[in-house]
Amino acid sequence: MSERESAKAARSSSPRGARSQRTVMRSRFSAWARHHRAMCLDSAGRLIRTPIASLLTMLAIAIALILPTALWLSLDGARLLDAELDESATLTAYLDSDVDEREAMRVAEALGAAPAVEAVRLITAAEGMAEFQQALGLEDALERLETNPLPASVVVSPQDASPEAMRTLATQLEAVGGVDEVRVDLAWLERLKRLAELGRRVTLALGVLFGLGVLLVVGNTIRLAVESRRQEIEVVTLIGATHGFVRRPFLYSGAWYGLGGGLLAWALLALGRQWLSAPATALAESYGASFTMPGLDGAGSATLLVSSTLLGLLGAWIAVSRHLADIRPR
Amino acid sequence: MIAFEHVGKRYGGRFEALANIDFRVQRGEMVFLTGHSGAGKSSLLRLIMRLERPSRGKVRVAGHDIAGLHASQVPFYRRQIGVVFQDHQLLFDRDVFANVALPLEIQGAEPREIARRTRAALDKVGLLHREKALPIELSGGEQQRVGIARAVVNKPSLLLADEPTGNLDPQLSADIMTLFEDFNRIGTTVLIASHDLALIARLRHRVLRLRDGRLVGDQEAT
Repeated sequence: MSERESAKAARSSSPRGARSQRTVMRSRFSAWARHHRAMCLDSAGRLIRTPIASLLTMLAIAIALILPTALWLSLDGARLLDAELDESATLTAYLDSDVDEREAMRVAEALGAAPAVEAVRLITAAEGMAEFQQALGLEDALERLETNPLPASVVVSPQDASPEAMRTLATQLEAVGGVDEVRVDLAWLERLKRLAELGRRVTLALGVLFGLGVLLVVGNTIRLAVESRRQEIEVVTLIGATHGFVRRPFLYSGAWYGLGGGLLAWALLALGRQWLSAPATALAESYGASFTMPGLDGAGSATLLVSSTLLGLLGAWIAVSRHLADIRPR
Repeated sequence: MIAFEHVGKRYGGRFEALANIDFRVQRGEMVFLTGHSGAGKSSLLRLIMRLERPSRGKVRVAGHDIAGLHASQVPFYRRQIGVVFQDHQLLFDRDVFANVALPLEIQGAEPREIARRTRAALDKVGLLHREKALPIELSGGEQQRVGIARAVVNKPSLLLADEPTGNLDPQLSADIMTLFEDFNRIGTTVLIASHDLALIARLRHRVLRLRDGRLVGDQEAT
């Protein structure tokens, strides 16, 4: 059936049978799709015709998006660091100073056999001294000592690096014969974890706030657009336009603003990453750590663009629904 | 086609715009609605377009009590009515063709169909050669003819006009009325609100007379 024929069927007030019912549905759908396509292009055209105003709106959206996204990225970087820290979380068991090397090996084996222990590494008194000398550069001063004052120690990697588990393990290990003292530096680990949790919450709160900011920016822009096309809205309402028909161009505008703002935010973040990458890496290297600047991967970029588009759409929806109710043909 | 059954309309509880209006317009009739300004002509048309609901009584169009229409049905109801406004309500940011095509676009007609029927409507009002012009480039009479083309482009069964000749000189007014008579001749029911009594008297159609919101005269066609 040609398009012309199906359009005729669509207009006929008494469709004959299932076949023409189907063509009615198909022609309604194609009209609906045609209007969507037209409005999608039309609203993009309107944005392009006022480039400065559109760009400013998108920039405002981009700035609102950048702050929470950048925070989220740095937290992501911190999370990687966090995982590394968990791996490197260890306890140090200092042995009694009268324990000799053979005895020390026996104690280390005993510690390694404990259930919650992943691995052990023995540092003999001599090795400890060598490490100490190297780290402090006090070779001359230390060589003058007649006896080695350092005890042998065993570095214990726990299976569970949580503060509670490590504290329990420390008490258990202290009970082993030959162990003088077990040290766990838990305070900084706990502080770091709390800091990370705080950061997560701050990011979430800022994300919600700035998301609201995007809604307001888009909402206000769309409100002005609705106001400037008031007469057009009145006329099309008088000649039988549905709410959907009237709303459609504004929803597309909102989505375009959101998408444009998202793309701008993405570009600015990429630029910022480029700009900060060299000094940040140099800084990390000076601490002997390897560091790669966190950036948006494919999934992250998609999330940013999709959520900014949806925020634009939602802002437009709220504005149009609120203001269309005010516009009633005179 | 149109039936008013003891219709009253109050605004804000006090001002009575229409009181006890009772009349019928048959399918295919052409009727004038007269009265001084403020007599209730516009209120009556607004009731038919369902921009307002009556405070009392019933308004039936094509047999349906239109106060009972759900808000989502109203757009589809309005598509069956062509309306010509005194200030013609053209959209000045698009050309004549786009203005006339608007009702068809709202209905989701096919592009080829839109082009064909829009040109037919423009041809009928004698403005086919101006389809690419912007409304601002047209004279008052031409603008009103574009408004009429837009009102009839989707072949409505009912055509309403609110002071369609309000700002036009007598010759142009007569031309416009001849256009309405042409549409009436092919079966369209036409209701025109106008206070151009001389012109109305010459045309010899049925005349409904309003005064202070009351129907004070119903003069049959002669």
